[in-house]
Amino acid sequence: MTVDVTPAVREFLLAIADDKHLMGQQHAEWIGVTPFLEEDLAFCSIGQDELGHAALLYELLAGDDDAAIDSLAYDRGADEYRSCHLVELATDDWTVAFARHWLFDTADQHRWTLVSQSTVPELRDVAARVEREERFHRMHADNMLDVLLADATARDRFVTAVAALAPLTQGLFEPVPGEAEAVATGVAAGPFAAEWDAFVETIEARIGAVDWGSAPSQAQRTQRSNDWQALMARMREVIDLDLSATW
Amino acid sequence: MAAFEAFLDDGGIVEVDDDMPAEYRQAVFAFIEMHANSELMGGLTERDWIPRTPGLRHKMSVLAKTQDEIGHGHLLYMVAADMQIKTREEMLEDLFAGKSRFHNVFHYQAVTWGDQVAIAFLVDAAALASQQAVFKNCSYGPYRRILKRIISEEGFHMRLGEDRMMRIAQGTDTQKEIFQGALDRWFWPALQLFGPDSKPDDVLLRWHIKSERNEVLRDKWVQKFVPMLQSYGFTVPAPDLSYDEEAGKWDVGPIDWEPLKRTLAQGGPDSARRINEAKDNWERTRWVRDAMDRAAAVPA
Repeated sequence: MTVDVTPAVREFLLAIADDKHLMGQQHAEWIGVTPFLEEDLAFCSIGQDELGHAALLYELLAGDDDAAIDSLAYDRGADEYRSCHLVELATDDWTVAFARHWLFDTADQHRWTLVSQSTVPELRDVAARVEREERFHRMHADNMLDVLLADATARDRFVTAVAALAPLTQGLFEPVPGEAEAVATGVAAGPFAAEWDAFVETIEARIGAVDWGSAPSQAQRTQRSNDWQALMARMREVIDLDLSATW
Repeated sequence: MAAFEAFLDDGGIVEVDDDMPAEYRQAVFAFIEMHANSELMGGLTERDWIPRTPGLRHKMSVLAKTQDEIGHGHLLYMVAADMQIKTREEMLEDLFAGKSRFHNVFHYQAVTWGDQVAIAFLVDAAALASQQAVFKNCSYGPYRRILKRIISEEGFHMRLGEDRMMRIAQGTDTQKEIFQGALDRWFWPALQLFGPDSKPDDVLLRWHIKSERNEVLRDKWVQKFVPMLQSYGFTVPAPDLSYDEEAGKWDVGPIDWEPLKRTLAQGGPDSARRINEAKDNWERTRWVRDAMDRAAAVPA
């Protein structure tokens, strides 16, 4: 099932898909090494959901064939990806990984709201399915936050991690190529940046004022972060062993 | 003990709150603890390659598989903890301190993607065969009920491994070479997972925890996987491999049990890295568990 969208709107959808893909990729690093077994299971489940959401969006653009989806997921040049730097960031610190999960899924709720009434019916369907799963991601983060924020030591660690991620988080809301056309044609109800204030209100209501710092230079998400090359090399390590192989 | 053993011989099932001899409680607990440890350490072995999985949906499948393994560990630790010998935390602390055991195969490192496939295909099949034999006639009720779920999920894992192995078998020379390398590394550890021949006085057999002798299960695995691997064009790395036409059976030749013994003493090829990394992760995230403990201690 593919959708008939303009090249510009395709770029807009790729930004959402690439964020989802790389967020799932980052979560996949944490299986078995989160603070406790129940969290291992939850984080792994969330990671699978994020990858699944990416696959649904790639499918809208490329069709249901695994090879076509993987071509979009793995084979583009660096400047053709539309991910934000937040999801490209490598970390071996669970506090940072968890803070990113909270920031990303909180922002994601706003983004999916913008396309939930899209003029593209297939995108509406994907948005509805995604939201059914995303609400559990937010519940997971909220329940953990209830514990972490009630404890002085844990709160300090968590708030410090959010502060470190705050500049990159702004990159989630940066306009992407095709967004203006997506809004003009009703694919999206508005630009993602329009949700920034509401997002900040949600975050700060939970942990207090945040110094958001300076947004990274992403050049409308056409510019990759310093962590990109190593991330993509890891994702493509097996693929690159033999480009003609089907694994 | 004689009356208890007669009860077991009659098909009696022991529940967690039932009276049971201390020896039985300890033996069952140790068996389940090792199973739980192995599920967790197996997940960590697979974890090394998950981010490198070639394919988006493929990655979802292997994540789901490893999530199952960690989930099995989670369930088994609860069943073991209910026996009130160690808490879950004590079991994990012992595991990360190198004080308790896990299956030999997870003392090895997966060094290529082919190893990941070999683990799902060969090792999961061996583990599944062992678990099915325990489930068949297990006298400890809570373990038997958990095994029912574990076995059903492990069957999917083995089929995932078989499917991926078949893709490789029909694939390029590079793929076949990579899998043959993995087979060379994993065939013997997978076979050794069953352990040496069962001793005549094995209490796990006497007390109906195990229902099959190690050598019987090992032989069934050999009879299934040797011809299957050969039929897909791979070479079984057993120099003394022979086929007895009369008996219609494969014989892999003498088995060197020294590698198994080394893993039991935490001296396997990857034991130190595997345990130390797990310990390091456990320590670095201790503050979260401490925060949760403090939160739980606050009256509602």
